[in-house]
Parts: sequence; structure tokens; C-alpha cells
Amino acid sequence: MDTKLKSIKYSAGAKTAAFIVVWLCVMCAVGSAVFLLYYHETVNSKSYYDTHQFKNEFSMLVSNAVEYNVKFKSEANIKSSGDTAETINKNLQRYYLIKKKLSESVNFAYCFKNTNTGETVTNIKVEAEDALALIQKQPSLVYYNQGTFVSDFPFNTGIMQMLEDAPYEIYAAVIEPLRPGDVFYDDNMSYSKNKALSNNATIILVLSTILTIVAFIYLVMVTGRRKPEGEINLSFIDRLYTDVYSMLVFFAAIISIAIAAQISYSFPERVEIIIIALVFGIDVLIGLSYLLSMIRQIKSGQLLRNTLVYKIFAICFNGKTFKTWTLLLLLGYGATNGVLFAIAAHSGGAGFFFFLFLIVPFNIAAVYFAAKALLSLSQIMEAAKEISVGNLDYALDNTKVAVAFASFAKDIQSIQGGLKKAVAEAIKGERMKTELITNVSHDLKTPLTSVINYVDLLKQEDLNNEKASQYLDILEEKSARLKQLIEDLIEASKASSGNLAVSVEKVDLHELVMQACGEYEEKFQKAELDVHITADKTFIAADGKHMWRIVENLLSNTVKYSLSRTRVYINVAKSESCGVLIVKNISANPLDISPEQLTERFVRGDLARTTEGAGLGLSIAQSLTGIQGGRFKIETDGDLFKVTVVMPLWEEE
Amino acid sequence: MDKLSVLVCDDDTAIVDALEIYLKQEDYGVVKAYTGRQALKALSEQKIHLVLLDIMMPELDGLLTTIKIREELNVPIIILSAKSEDTDKITGLNFGADDYVTKPFNLLELMARVKSQMRRYTALGSLATSSVIIKTGGLELDPEAKELRVDGEAIKLTATEYGIMLFLMKNMGHVFSTEQIYEQVWNEPSYSAENTVPVHIRRIREKIEINPKEPKYLKVVWGIGYKIEKY
Repeated sequence: MDTKLKSIKYSAGAKTAAFIVVWLCVMCAVGSAVFLLYYHETVNSKSYYDTHQFKNEFSMLVSNAVEYNVKFKSEANIKSSGDTAETINKNLQRYYLIKKKLSESVNFAYCFKNTNTGETVTNIKVEAEDALALIQKQPSLVYYNQGTFVSDFPFNTGIMQMLEDAPYEIYAAVIEPLRPGDVFYDDNMSYSKNKALSNNATIILVLSTILTIVAFIYLVMVTGRRKPEGEINLSFIDRLYTDVYSMLVFFAAIISIAIAAQISYSFPERVEIIIIALVFGIDVLIGLSYLLSMIRQIKSGQLLRNTLVYKIFAICFNGKTFKTWTLLLLLGYGATNGVLFAIAAHSGGAGFFFFLFLIVPFNIAAVYFAAKALLSLSQIMEAAKEISVGNLDYALDNTKVAVAFASFAKDIQSIQGGLKKAVAEAIKGERMKTELITNVSHDLKTPLTSVINYVDLLKQEDLNNEKASQYLDILEEKSARLKQLIEDLIEASKASSGNLAVSVEKVDLHELVMQACGEYEEKFQKAELDVHITADKTFIAADGKHMWRIVENLLSNTVKYSLSRTRVYINVAKSESCGVLIVKNISANPLDISPEQLTERFVRGDLARTTEGAGLGLSIAQSLTGIQGGRFKIETDGDLFKVTVVMPLWEEE
Repeated sequence: MDKLSVLVCDDDTAIVDALEIYLKQEDYGVVKAYTGRQALKALSEQKIHLVLLDIMMPELDGLLTTIKIREELNVPIIILSAKSEDTDKITGLNFGADDYVTKPFNLLELMARVKSQMRRYTALGSLATSSVIIKTGGLELDPEAKELRVDGEAIKLTATEYGIMLFLMKNMGHVFSTEQIYEQVWNEPSYSAENTVPVHIRRIREKIEINPKEPKYLKVVWGIGYKIEKY
């Protein structure tokens, strides 16, 4: 039950309903508030007689009555006043006008009592005493005597002048109940209507305000959340930068004010109210969604971070894009230019030209410095490119680099230095390794010489012992093997470290294969191998001695590891840019080793290591091919062992 | 006639002793030295016909010793060294050595070299040289006798082998491809994919060279052809 309530609380429907409630209530509250403000006198007054509307009208009539009865008295009195004809005429017109107005005001009653004569003038058609009594009963009574009004009516000074010396007591009032026919009746009717309406408006105002507050608090609480304590889900509108959003809302407000100002006086009142209500309704809608969006932003804690200004500042001032001062320089440049242009545009004639002469050199200077800075940037970029392709000795002249890029240039140089050092150390390490191997090998060779020599001497001795001579044979064989190993080791280390001189010349791969096969002819026969050679004249760019070592290693491998009474295929061919040598043979032992492993040092085709050889042959061949710019590939397919050596073709200059 | 004497100089006494045994078997007199200085001293004191010299020795190394010897004497010098680089060999030979043998060496091969050098040194100028004889180093080809001699010893060659040697000796120092050699010697066009010439040449090398793998006279120029080295 509880969870169900909660799920309803956070449902989109509830939120939408609350949103609509807030919107409607705000509209109602503002509408009723405007109504109450407009009719605030009606609301605040106890009765119609308290209103300024009534008081103004009533005092005007009192004034008119005084003028009529005290100043003009009668038509004859005006005519016999002795004034100019023009004044008389004017007074007469005024007399008739007032007379007409007084006769139309059916609810207005007055009674003038001359204190000297006791004569009474009234507009009520009853006896004078009755008239006075009637007037005195009315709630809107005005009484005047001896320059003093008993009332808080706003009488003008004219009426006081008129009554200054006149010995009159004045009683005036609106007779209740009001009869239809004059302005008092009409006004009283509309007053009563509005008074009744204003009570309703007050109730609506209070209710809608309460509802608005409640619904709005609810919305503030649940907006952006799908469940209690859940994370804040921002809607699509929240992706707008908050400051941009604020500006848009501000513009919307300005536009609606402009519309309101524009339409007043140009439409009938009812249409005007409808349009203003419509515009206001849209404004409330915008404002409400804006407020909720801001609340969501605050909830997710990114109100400030989601501003465009913040983003721009973040990009410009965290140092990732560029240095702050360079940006400020740029802004300063723009500002200076703007100011100069503005002054030039506003000052005519000579001033215009003067500032034009300032602007042109200023911009030329700016372009010059910018171009210089960009030139150094391109210098640095070129240096970086050179370094990246391996030209570690590329010299970047950092004395000519612009200040903006000086540290950048320095960094590039230090990277270059580090790289250079690392490469130099790697080369040095490799060289040291080779030197170590060579030196150790030399030191091994001297004692080995004695071993071989004395084995030889011992063999010449008459041992008279079959076993001893057998042992000697083993010693002889193994010392020879050791000798070969040491030599291969030196060569392998030199070849793999690239510590070998390569003198490239025009080498006929066909000739070379023929020569090599000539050297190996007897060994092939001894191993009972049938060698098939297919070869075309193929001139490659290679070092003949190294090529011979490669071919020799391949052939000696073939002799050592081939199954006897099989065929060996040696193929020399020419492609567009390469000479290709392929040697294929059938292995005597199963090839359980991957082709990659076969070229590693000390790895041999037979894992038992029963055959002669150090396992360096293929490794040396591969290294030698590499340092001559060729490619070396081993493929195995069952017992078929295939080596491909690809060398670049010789190109005549 | 006195025994021909050989000076053996190496800081490793075991090697010197082994060499002494072999040289004595070949009926040479042996003088032993263990440093360059001792070698120079021995040379100044007695008549020596050949020097076997190690490079890496204390006091005075083999190369400097060679230079000192060459300042005064024309005695054959064979350098024995563990340094097997081409550059080391070239340096040794340029400093005045007559031969360069790398350790560990085969004693029989070394003895052959010793004998070769000794023959050339002692028989120098004694042989009657005819104008038709083609000669390089210890290698001589006599077209009249149809004979090839190495250090004065005649070598047995087949007709084809002799033909090849004649052609190459006549054009000493030039490199010829197998195809050219075939066409010249067999007098017929060559068909590729035949290794007849290389096989013959290897056999000749085995007959005339002390170490066929490091030939002195009949050299292989890999991927180009063959030539007779001109000395």
C-alpha cells in the first residue's frame, strides 16, 4: 500500500497533473488578485457611500446646487446682474446646464436655508420642514453652516468662495431607497455586484494560492526523481545550458510584456483581456518548467557547471586548450580593434582617417605576430614529425620559437633527448652483448685449442686399449662440435645485433645456388638426397658472403634433417621487385615445433638433440636476410619443410 | 745441413708444448718463447727459418712483434690467433705476416702451412723459372709440361680440371661465372641448372688448397663466379 502510494507519487501522471494544477491555480490566483486590485475600493469600503466615486459625484452635485441657488438664483437675477452681455450669456448657458443636470439626478436632494430670512430652497416636492427632515435621515447627509462642512467630502475651493458671505445652512443627501434613472443608482448597482464578486475572488485567491504552494512543493520534491532517493533524471530540456535557458526565458518575458503593451488600447477591452491572459498563461507555463528545470539542476548539483559560461571558462582556463594569458591577449586584441573601429565610425572626417591609420598598422602588427607564432608552431610540428619517423638528430632551433610555444618546443626537445638516449643505450647494450659474446668466445678458444691438439697427440700414442681410443673419438668429435658452436655463436650474435658490415653488390642468385650446390654435392650424395634445381638468372642486391652463409645454412640444414632417399627442391625465381629462393625438403623427424620457434636461437628440429648442429643455423640465416633488407619465412606442412628467402632485385643505376 | 728451426711464441705453454711435439715430428728445430720480447730476443740470437706467433700476449703483442721482426728480417711469419674476424686477418697480413691461422686450429693443417711457407722460403729463387710458367704465390702452372705445382710439388689433375686451371690462371685476378668457365673449357654453350663447374672447382680446391674452406688461390666469389688470386 505504502509502496503503491509512493509509486503513484513519483509517477509521470501525478507529476503532469500537479504541473497542470500549479499552472491553472497560478492563473486563477493572478486573475483574482488583479480583479481585487482593480476593485480594491469596492473591497475596502463598507458601502457605496464610502467610495470616492460616490463622493466625487455627490460633491460635484452639491457644488452645482450651490452655484445654482446661491450664485445664479434665477434667470432674472443673471440678466439684471449688470455684467457684460458675454458674461451674462455664458452664465445663462451654465445656469441651464446645471438646471438640467440637477433635474436628472432623481436621487439627489438638497435644502438651502437662509439664516437671515429663514427662507428655504429645496428640490424635493414636499413641505420645507419635511424635506429637511427627510434629508437629515439619509446616511449620506452633508451639512454646511458658517463656512464649515460637516463631512469628509472633497469639496473644491470654488464652493467655499461662493458660500463665503452667504448666510446659508445647507443640507444635501441621496435619498434612499435609490430610484433608477441617475448615475447614483447605476453606480450603486455595479458596486453591489462587484462587492459580491470580490468575496468570491478572495476565496479563489486564497484557495488557488494554497493549492499552488502545495502542488509546487510537491513538484519541487519529486521533480527529476523516478523513485524516492533515486538518482536525478534530467529531461531533454535540462540539456540546455542554464544560462542560455535563463536568457531565453527572460526574452520570452520581455516579448510578452511588449505584446501586452502593444495590444492595450488597440483592441476592445474583452479581447485585450483574453490576449493578455493567453500570453500570461504561456509565460506561466514557460516559467514553471524553467523553475522545475533549475530545481532539477540544483538537485543534481550541476546548476553552475551546466552553464555555457562555465563550459567556456572550463575550456579556456583549465590550461588544457591554451594558456590563459594568450586568450586574454586575443580578447584584448578584439576589444582594442572594436574600440578603434567604433571611434573611427563615430568621428567624422579627419578623426576617421586618423583612427584608420591606427587600425591598419595595429592589425598588420597583430597579423605579423600571429603569423610568427604559427610559424614556430609549424616548426615544432615538423620537428615532432621528424622525430616520430625516427630522425632523432633533427635540430629544432628553439631560439626562434615564439614565446607562446617556447615551453612546448622545450618539451619536444626533451622528449627527443630522452628518445635519443634510450635508443643509444639500446644500441650500446646490444653492442656490449655482442662484444661480451665475442670476448668470451675468444677466451674459450685458447683452451679449446689445447684440448683439440692434445686429443690429436693422444691419438698418435700407442694406447693398446680399444676403449680408450673410442673415448678419444668421442672427445675429438665433441671438441670439434664445441669449436663450431663457438663460431656460430659469434656469428649469430653479430648478425642479430646488426654488427656486421654489409657491402651490397650485384649477385646472381642462380650462380650462387649453383656454387653452393657444387660445394654440397658430395654431402647430398652421402645423405642420399635427390636435389632438383630450377633456376633463372636472378640478379639481387645483396652481400655475396652473407648470401652464401644463408644458402649454406639452408643446405646444411637440409643435409642434417632430411629424410634420406627423398627429393630436395631448390627454386630460384624472380618477381617484379624481388628475387625469391625456395628450399623444400622432407623432414626426417616430425616437425612438432612452430615455424616461429625454429628461427629462435638454439632451437632444433629434433627435440632430442641427437643430430649435430647448434640450432643457430636458421636464426643466423634469418638475421642475415634481415640485415640485407630481405624477408625470411619458414613454413611447415606435415613433414614438408619450406624456407623462402626474398631479396630485393638489383637495380642498375 | 742443419735442421730448419721454428720459433713458437704463445703465452699458453700447453699450446707451445703441443706445437713443439708436432714440429719435432716433422724434424724441425724448435725455439720456444712466451712473450713478444722473448721472441725478438731469440730471433736476434739465433737463425730462425719460420715464426709461429700468437697475437694476444703480455709485454709485446703479436702484431707489434710482427712489425719489429719485419724491420730487419724476411722470415715467414704465421700468426695464430683466437681472433677470427676478417678484419683481424687483414690487419695481421697487412702488418707483414705471411699467413693467418685461427684458433682452435687443426694441427695437420698448421703443419701443412708451415711446410708450405718453409718450402717457399728455403727454395726461393732456386727454381729455374721459364717464361711460359704462370705463377701466383706458391702456385705454378707449366703449360709445356701440363703440370700444376703448389710450393714446388706437382698436383695430379684431370684433363677438365687442368683446363679450368689453365683458363683461370691465364686470366688471373678476373672473376668468371660458371657459365663463362663452362663455355671456355668445354667449348660448348652452357645450360643452366648444372653444377658441373662448381663441383670440379671444389675438387681442384681440395687438391691445391691447404684448407679448401678458406682457399688461398682458387677463390669463390659468391653469387658471381670464381677467380685465381693474384699474389
